Amino acid sequence: MKDKMDRISARLREKQIRIPVDLTVGVVFFLVAAAVLLLMPSQVAISERDVVNGRAFPTLLMWVMMICCALLVGKEIYKIIKKRPIAYKTINLLVEVKALIIMAILVITYLLARTTDLFVVGAVFCAVAFLLYFRCKKPLYYVITVGMAVGIWAVFRFLLNVHF
Amino acid sequence: MLQHIIPASGLLFTLQNILWINIGVFIGAVFAAIPGLTVILCVILFLPVTYSMSAIPGMMFLLGIYCAGGYGGSVSAILINTPGTPHAAATMLDGHPMSKQGRTKAALKIALYASTFGGIFSALALLFLGPQVAKLAAQLGTPEYFMVCLFGLTIIAGVSGKSMIRGIIAACLGLLISCIGSDPMTSYDRFTFGINRLYLGLDLAVCLIGLFALVEIVSRAEDQPQEMHMDTRKMKDDGTITKDEYKRMVRPALLGSLIGVMVGIIPGTGASEASWFSYSQAKNMSKHKEEFGNGSVEGIAAAESANNAVTGATLIPLLTLGIPGDGTVAIMLSALMINGLNPGLSLFTTQGDIMYAIMLGLILVNVFMFIQGKLLTPLFAKVVSIPQEILTPIIVIFCFAGAYSVNKNYFDVAVALVFCVLAWILRKLDMPPVPILLGLVLGRMTETNFRRALLISNGSPKIFVSSVYCWAFIALIVLAVGTIIRGKIHDRKAQEKEE
Repeated sequence: MKDKMDRISARLREKQIRIPVDLTVGVVFFLVAAAVLLLMPSQVAISERDVVNGRAFPTLLMWVMMICCALLVGKEIYKIIKKRPIAYKTINLLVEVKALIIMAILVITYLLARTTDLFVVGAVFCAVAFLLYFRCKKPLYYVITVGMAVGIWAVFRFLLNVHF
Repeated sequence: MLQHIIPASGLLFTLQNILWINIGVFIGAVFAAIPGLTVILCVILFLPVTYSMSAIPGMMFLLGIYCAGGYGGSVSAILINTPGTPHAAATMLDGHPMSKQGRTKAALKIALYASTFGGIFSALALLFLGPQVAKLAAQLGTPEYFMVCLFGLTIIAGVSGKSMIRGIIAACLGLLISCIGSDPMTSYDRFTFGINRLYLGLDLAVCLIGLFALVEIVSRAEDQPQEMHMDTRKMKDDGTITKDEYKRMVRPALLGSLIGVMVGIIPGTGASEASWFSYSQAKNMSKHKEEFGNGSVEGIAAAESANNAVTGATLIPLLTLGIPGDGTVAIMLSALMINGLNPGLSLFTTQGDIMYAIMLGLILVNVFMFIQGKLLTPLFAKVVSIPQEILTPIIVIFCFAGAYSVNKNYFDVAVALVFCVLAWILRKLDMPPVPILLGLVLGRMTETNFRRALLISNGSPKIFVSSVYCWAFIALIVLAVGTIIRGKIHDRKAQEKEE
């Protein structure tokens, strides 16, 4: 099992994606700003009597964001035309897979705590899951971490009166 | 001022406050000593604990964490050549070589003395300068306040990260998120997407847990767990500092403290900038330049005094104008506001005793940091080697418990998770998180002043250029933007030359 996982991670470590970071930021946030502007009428109710209504400030922000995005994209396009190197960001597939596993641990911890309405269940799962993620083989670490998880819950529950 | 000092002392010197200061100092030093854990993370994790406290003990606890964090970072920098916090990097240059020379305890002592000196110096600066700046702030109206917010956001967006444009985009995103919830002027809901719970807006602490704390956990995917075992039995030196070394510490410590205070007052700059600037100035002025980088007493004193002198100075714009000097004090603002303490002159007049108690408390925090540093440094040194396998789940559990306890519901935990995903995506796009934080903190204040000013002028934007103060802030914004752009061009040219 361990060897198989090592082989998979070695394969993933070699796989990298390069993204033109400024171009991506420019395009993504331009679209975000445009989407917010489109959603504005349905999401922000206003009164006709208002001199300056609740849409004014977010609209201003989105225009500033769109101008900044246009500048970023324009700068990168200029670089491409002039055949200058543009900014790239390398994303490693192994890192992203590991990040997804950590995110999954966080989400399962949340779901366990919420569905059982007992925070300590999620906390104990979280402690064990992370030790497994780090491939920890020391039993003492499991005892310490699970003990701490229960201890933190107990402090919040009985000393700070947070009922969960 | 004097009329406030005596009642403030009465409010400050209670067993409860002293206990919270010491707990804060201990937690701050321990957190900062562990590489990878930052002071901002520590303050975010423990912010919910202060919600059930009154203003003074709550602020004392957070200030204890903040100040001791400045010193704690130097422990791992000196012992294992890895700064516990980014601003201890300059300390590492001389601290670790001194440790390798068999003078570990001496290096830690110099760092402690310089940190305490810098911290008390900045606390005094806060005590004397704060009320004066607050008087100036009282003359500002709504358009001027909007310009102050704009100035703060511009500088912060400019100095955070490699690209100013990306910083501004991040600040806009933070400001947009602050718009979620009820309209501050009309109470109509905005961007709630039919989710009733969003009507109250997003709680700052919950957003920060996702943006800064949980994302740090996800970033564990980027590195392997390291075991940095420090054998504290190696600290065998008696820690003696000679008379000559004490004399040589005075000038860089004083210089570092002055630089720390000046840098700390400017929003967006922080302890890292102060410690590097102070270190290079001390080197230029030293008669023993050759010792820098090889265990110089002056190098440690300059860097450590500067990074702790920032602590009090960053509170000056926070308490007087509501503009946080750095990310950590931005979080403290919510601890103040939850107790009904809104920054500005009124804070110094109507709540003068509490304000002076907090400012005097900063001196006390530094005194207890010194005492704990003297007694507990070997313990802080042991903490450096706590394995990541144990720390990581404990931080997650703290984050979840903290997010839940803000409003006592799981919705906030889900919000923290959403912000964690957002922060991870932003990290992949090299977007700085600090402007988002400042946007979240300053959002309501910026929008309210913007709209009020336009209401007064019946919609005319001319109101933003209607007074001398407005023009002064416009000049400052232009100057700041110009300086930042010039600095970036200079950096790029230097980089091109190197290539």
